[in-house]
Amino acid sequence: MSDNAQSPKLRLTGVTKSFVAPRTGQRTLAVAEMNLDIQTGEFICIVGPSGCGKSTVLNMIAGLDVPSGGVIEKDGHPVRGPGADRGVMFQDYALMPWQTVEGNVGFGLRHGTPGENLNKEQRNQRIAHFIDLVGLRGSEHKYPHQLSGGMRQRVALARLLANGPDILLLDEPLGALDAQTRLILQAELLRIWGETSPVTERKTAIFITHDIEEAVLLADRVVVMSSHPGRVREVVTIDLPRPRAGTARTNPRFGVLVEQIWSLIRDEAYRAIGGDESLAKPTEEATA
Amino acid sequence: MKNMTFDNRTSVLVRNLTLPVLLIVVWHIWASTLPAGSPAPAPLKVLQTLGDMLGAGSLLSATLQSLGRVVLGFAVASVLGIALGLLMGSSPAVRENLDPIIESFRPIAPMAILPIAILWLGTGTPTALAIVAYASFFPVLINTVHGVSRVDRKLVLAAHTMGISRWTILTRVVLPGALPSILLGTRLAMGVAWTAIIAAELAVGAKSGGGGSGGIGQMMFVFYAYNIDLNAIVVCMAVVGVVALLIDQLFRLVEKRLIPWRP
Repeated sequence: MSDNAQSPKLRLTGVTKSFVAPRTGQRTLAVAEMNLDIQTGEFICIVGPSGCGKSTVLNMIAGLDVPSGGVIEKDGHPVRGPGADRGVMFQDYALMPWQTVEGNVGFGLRHGTPGENLNKEQRNQRIAHFIDLVGLRGSEHKYPHQLSGGMRQRVALARLLANGPDILLLDEPLGALDAQTRLILQAELLRIWGETSPVTERKTAIFITHDIEEAVLLADRVVVMSSHPGRVREVVTIDLPRPRAGTARTNPRFGVLVEQIWSLIRDEAYRAIGGDESLAKPTEEATA
Repeated sequence: MKNMTFDNRTSVLVRNLTLPVLLIVVWHIWASTLPAGSPAPAPLKVLQTLGDMLGAGSLLSATLQSLGRVVLGFAVASVLGIALGLLMGSSPAVRENLDPIIESFRPIAPMAILPIAILWLGTGTPTALAIVAYASFFPVLINTVHGVSRVDRKLVLAAHTMGISRWTILTRVVLPGALPSILLGTRLAMGVAWTAIIAAELAVGAKSGGGGSGGIGQMMFVFYAYNIDLNAIVVCMAVVGVVALLIDQLFRLVEKRLIPWRP
């Protein structure tokens, strides 16, 4: 692997997170000893049972939360606080209800650091470009409450990209959508992320999801976490060829990878829903 | 009412007006059974008095004077209430320090501070303004704080991830997010302010022996205690009620205009 010579875009070293319950003072270790390297242009998916700390890790990378121990470095420098260089897409969109589509997409450009060196004309052009990119041209003057879930998510994506981050952090962005819209947006995401472009032109992305098939479809590598406390169980490399939209799901390797990842999580997932672990055993032995 | 057909709107109007009109007719019939010189108010005499007062210009000027005081007092109280509300809503430290003082004064009715106000500020406009401001302040403050608490925390986090400064977050995320509650607070405050000014002017009128502090409340007091004219009192009462209604409707209109994003 040639990327050993290149320093990683993002490096987590010994990252831990514990929470202290306010009333009892009891300390809970949410994330334990997490070590991870992510290269520039990689699409990483994080999957794991509920409560394994996936969102906590994302929040720490985003700077919205502080590690209790260890260090998170981006381009070799420790991450301190949130910033536009690490853009976030939230599961419930976090769109400003009083702004139109245009206003939302341009919010960071107009009020935050992304638009600092641009004049009004350039900002407007940038906003229009990304609205077009996500396929929302014509809806610029609508308010979020007038949009469907899929459209809202595309506004959130346009906003994220318009702010020009070098790391995209996506916290279950497609979780609130119906299955068919999700399929469409997965393909859109791959296109916009640049799966048909050379690796050097792609943005680094970290995508949290519960949907294992989604993870296998999108990611270069899938980080499988386990819980109590949260830690990396295994990192699975997805060796499916790109572009994947439209072709990956029919590749036999796809199902194998999904099953491989699910077998790592299955027991814990059953435990998480309070179920009987004996039900978790597969009914047929795999022949591979 | 917007989507109703013309017929539906008229029928709703007719339905709403039937009882009041009926009551006025009953009142008229009762009044006509009274002897000629009776001071009791009667609908026709009220209308005549209304005409006289409008003609003399006294009604309009008194109403405007009261309104002027209300608007000024309300404006001062709103600016203070919104600013402080935003601060208290976003900073637990500020809120903890100010809460005891605010909660101590809130239950004290505006009328209860009238004696002190008159002693300190006299029986003129400053007192009226002080009462109005005091009365308007709390609804604005409390609704602003509530509005801030209802702003989705995710929006603030999202703003942080866009490199937006804390001050800009306050003005561009928290303030717009809290606006529906803030506008509700100002509408309630205006209603309370109008009630307070009438009561304050009545009381001040009493204290100053019917002196010229102006305003419709004071005018009402004069008709009660000095130039006793029950018909004029009814006219004043009606005007107070109509103005309150108009203020409320105006605020609702402004609310709709300022918050186009409400589904």
